[in-house]
Amino acid sequence: MKEIMRNVYLKDGNLFTKSRYGSHYGEKVLSGYREWIPWRSKLAAMILKGYRISFSGKEKLLYLGAASGTTVSHLADILDEGIIYAVEYAAKPFVKLLELAKERENIVPLLFDASKPQIYSGIVEKVDFIYQDISQRNQIEILEKNIDFFLKKEGSFLIMVKARSIDSTTSPSEVFKEVTRRIEEKFDLLATDSLEPYHRDHIFIYGKI
Amino acid sequence: MNWNLWFGKLEDNKLNVVDFHIAFQNAQNDSPLPFNLFEVGRSLFRDDRDYYKTLRKIAIKICEERVEKELKREDRYVVALVKALEEIEESKNLLSEKLDDIRGIVENELTKAFDDRIKYLDEMGKMIENEIERVMTKIAPNITELLGAKIAAKLLERAGSFEKLVKLPASKIQIMGAEKSLYKALSRIKKGQKAKVPKHGIIFVHPYIRQLPKSKRGKMARFLAAKIAIAAKIDYFRGELNESILEAVRKRYEELSR
Repeated sequence: MKEIMRNVYLKDGNLFTKSRYGSHYGEKVLSGYREWIPWRSKLAAMILKGYRISFSGKEKLLYLGAASGTTVSHLADILDEGIIYAVEYAAKPFVKLLELAKERENIVPLLFDASKPQIYSGIVEKVDFIYQDISQRNQIEILEKNIDFFLKKEGSFLIMVKARSIDSTTSPSEVFKEVTRRIEEKFDLLATDSLEPYHRDHIFIYGKI
Repeated sequence: MNWNLWFGKLEDNKLNVVDFHIAFQNAQNDSPLPFNLFEVGRSLFRDDRDYYKTLRKIAIKICEERVEKELKREDRYVVALVKALEEIEESKNLLSEKLDDIRGIVENELTKAFDDRIKYLDEMGKMIENEIERVMTKIAPNITELLGAKIAAKLLERAGSFEKLVKLPASKIQIMGAEKSLYKALSRIKKGQKAKVPKHGIIFVHPYIRQLPKSKRGKMARFLAAKIAIAAKIDYFRGELNESILEAVRKRYEELSR
């Protein structure tokens, strides 16, 4: 096994995170390592496509759109000395997220609407990293608002963009062009690429203030 | 400036500690805090770990309570909204009819009052539709993506509750809303007469069915109903959007429309 990022390992083309915990969403667990499935997690897809994010493990991270905690569980393995504020608005997946948060000391689960950061502004501290995976039309606006409220000056962010949830009538490439342009207007772009073949019509945008 | 924090209130740089459970639920501020929350709160706790341990415990407790409440309530809310919307649409149509009758004879203040009332009902209907959309995307993202919020909510209303909808077989979902003609057909068959069994009920208004030629609508309705049955189960038990369902339905539609 080769460590390619903090607590992230690659073996025979498969991705793993080093973990003291058991399976969360049906992934395989091999003596201290949990398999990280790229079809289930967009972050895993991005890493398998060769992109890296340098985490020290001590970061404070705000995760918007945590859903049932698939990706959160692996980030919690990576940031084993940090804290993840996991925001999710839908009650059903939140139940699963709660199970995870009860087991992991570094996850604070928050049942809030990510488009209204005011409401949780007195709960979440200033963070080093914002990760967003929300399929809503106004996802860029949501990111901007949360950066405004919570991201440290030297912080960075990663957003997973789904073309069809922004505009299903124009072609994905047009949507992506427009989205990247909007991000570049305000922030520095570090990397962007599609998540094919793992996630159709999705791109990631990695940037900083 | 006053700031509402999860451990208390910061008023003119003086921290007033409040019961954490109450403070957590009122931790709202209109603009970003000009300081780091953690640094202000840190002194109240033994160490960094204690800060996070306390915050986590409160977050888990409060969010768990909220989640339980929400799960119980929201499908009943949608059912009530759909019923209200149907009433409003019916009154609107009735009023419009009568208005046309009167207008055919005279045009006066009275007809204007009629008109205002109809417009008002129209606005109310739109408000309810928006609310249905908001709640449906939250509690049932898959059937909402598949059918649109309005049709999806109608299915839910017909079924009675989310739990009941999940237990329905695809064949029932396919003809829901066409019960009258189904039972008419069945009784004719029983008597040995010729009968037409309905192919679709509520889901007929879905563009993928309506836009197809008559001969292919039954095939599409059967396929769509099967996917709805799966999507409803994913919504109920997992609650996350699954792209592959809509993809499959779209593919089937394209095959049939060729």
